[in-house]
Amino acid sequence: MAEDNICETTINLHNEFGLHARPAGRIARAAQQFEARIKLGFDGREVDAKSILDILSLAAPNGSALRILAQGNDARHAVEHLESLFREKLREDG
Amino acid sequence: MASKVFKGIPVSAGLAIGRTYFLNREAGTSIVRINIIPEQVPQETARLKQGFNAALDELENILKKVPRDLKEQAAIIDSHIMILRDEKFQKSACDYVHSRLINAEWALENAVNDIERAFSRIEDEYIRSRTQDVRLVAGRVRNKLYGQSKSYDSKSERMILLAHDLSPADTIELKLDRIMAFATATGGKTSHAGIIARSLQIPAIVGAEGLEEIQDDHVVILDGFSGKIIVEPDAEELTHYTDLKQRFSEYYSQIKRNCYLPAETIDGYQMQVLANIELFEEVTSVIDNGGEGIGLYRTEYSFLNRNNWPSEEELYEEYRDMASIVYPQKVVFRTLDLGADKISPHFGPLEEVNPALGLRAIRFCQQNIELFKAQLRAILRASTLGNVAVMFPMISGLQELREVKEIYFDVREEMRKAGQPFNDEVPFGIMIELPSAVFIADVLAREVDFFSIGTNDLIQYSLGIDRTNRYVSYLYQPLHPAVLRSIKYVVDAGHEAGIEVNVCGEVAADPYCIPILMGMQLDSISLNPQAIPGIKRIIRQTTMEECKELLKQVLTSSQVQQSNRLVRDKIFTHFPEGLMFYTSLIEES
Repeated sequence: MAEDNICETTINLHNEFGLHARPAGRIARAAQQFEARIKLGFDGREVDAKSILDILSLAAPNGSALRILAQGNDARHAVEHLESLFREKLREDG
Repeated sequence: MASKVFKGIPVSAGLAIGRTYFLNREAGTSIVRINIIPEQVPQETARLKQGFNAALDELENILKKVPRDLKEQAAIIDSHIMILRDEKFQKSACDYVHSRLINAEWALENAVNDIERAFSRIEDEYIRSRTQDVRLVAGRVRNKLYGQSKSYDSKSERMILLAHDLSPADTIELKLDRIMAFATATGGKTSHAGIIARSLQIPAIVGAEGLEEIQDDHVVILDGFSGKIIVEPDAEELTHYTDLKQRFSEYYSQIKRNCYLPAETIDGYQMQVLANIELFEEVTSVIDNGGEGIGLYRTEYSFLNRNNWPSEEELYEEYRDMASIVYPQKVVFRTLDLGADKISPHFGPLEEVNPALGLRAIRFCQQNIELFKAQLRAILRASTLGNVAVMFPMISGLQELREVKEIYFDVREEMRKAGQPFNDEVPFGIMIELPSAVFIADVLAREVDFFSIGTNDLIQYSLGIDRTNRYVSYLYQPLHPAVLRSIKYVVDAGHEAGIEVNVCGEVAADPYCIPILMGMQLDSISLNPQAIPGIKRIIRQTTMEECKELLKQVLTSSQVQQSNRLVRDKIFTHFPEGLMFYTSLIEES
């Protein structure tokens, strides 16, 4: 039953240069800490949030609305963690 | 058998004789496709995985060694680690081994190509260019597949390092105590590798095409004066260079002993000798070589090789440290002198047919005013802790200068209101490097505290010559009458208005040109730190009298060849022993 935990949120990307290598790396690194399957959605596409290359391939510019979708035991925790990462950390470092 | 010679661009003076080691040899070789049989698949995928793991280990070790102040490099290396650890990437490569029955190298190449294809659809220029990172990472894995370990540090003797190119990550990784010199196949006069070599004071050559042919463990002579790499030299060459090396080290220690003496001619005319630097780390070599301050701090480096603009705080910390280390001597901070072509990642692609005449230097700053103001604030804040001056590049006219001054004074006013302390007396000057600025130097001189003549650009813009273009570089003539008259006019106009005039181009480090500059009675010259001891020595061996006489002769000569001959004869009588150790801008004729 825990497997069915699904959690989802939408956030706005605030980063002058969009989702470039550094923030993408941070997101992937953070996502990898969770068991849940985590997807990042933008512009009608969904990619694996644990893969830096996938995240880069989204090419999400500053101001994008990104969907975070997690499924699994710690889905809720994962979404909250990523959300706060987007909100706090990715803002400051370019 | 005759020895083989490779030629490149010398970027750091000196001589080295030693055995070679080629770093990342595979990077320039082509990748071969080998078909395998199904039974070999487990073995080949295991090899691939080992390659990934070994490359990962290597990068993680590098990351640990990155000095804390190189945050940008650390971030780049960290994103490379993430790419390596990306399971999709590894899996895609392993799948290729399986599905196509091909070798690990070819499978890796296929996986990289897939990523590149996926990325090529991205419109964002910056993110698209990240495929280079994937390529670099794959190169590292391939290195491991070829079984190369970075083992030059395990050899008992110091090596001459060869490479296709040296990236910032490579230079961090270098075991400097194991390297006596290096040469790269790519790169130009201003490449990162050259700066590193100069600050370490080891001889180096860049842009030596064909270097890949040189095998490991071969004896070579690396001549950092002429840019020659002689492979397997014969006995005669070895004797010659061993002797030369000995003489150079004697000569160098001799001139270095006297490098702290003032640059004063026999008849008592003194010129201030300052240094041009690019990297913070070069400060030590300024001090070691008897530099009397920093006449040109090129502030561009902190803006390059990164994804965002440096913050004011970051710049302030750098400038503050610089100003206080050099104090009581002065540091002239030149504001950002970059073309938009160099900083496109944050700026967006800019199509310029002719970047040298495009949006660059002060023009770029005027259009990116917040960035410009942040830099000015950082410089002004640092002014309370040292002897600081600020200088604007590429000024072309009075109107432009006044606009820049307005920005500068606005910044000061804002700081004053905000109660932020700075030194009110910070001198501000301009670079004279455009012919238009030369001809109105008398007008500009009334507006500023000092001039610095940037002869590299002035020569290029005056003669219409791109010096790096090998088809026309022969026309790059520092002693062209138009160039000399321009410099003379600017010096006289500056002195007429009672301001100091400096020359900060390469001519200031050229033994042939220095007597001419002396004759013009410049207040100071600014040059690369390594050249300071030699230039000071020349100045100390001449008289102002004869420099003036030489200048007069050269100014009345309408032919460059004749001028070249005049200065060569002159300097030869005064400075015969050092000439072989210097490269000159004056071509032999």
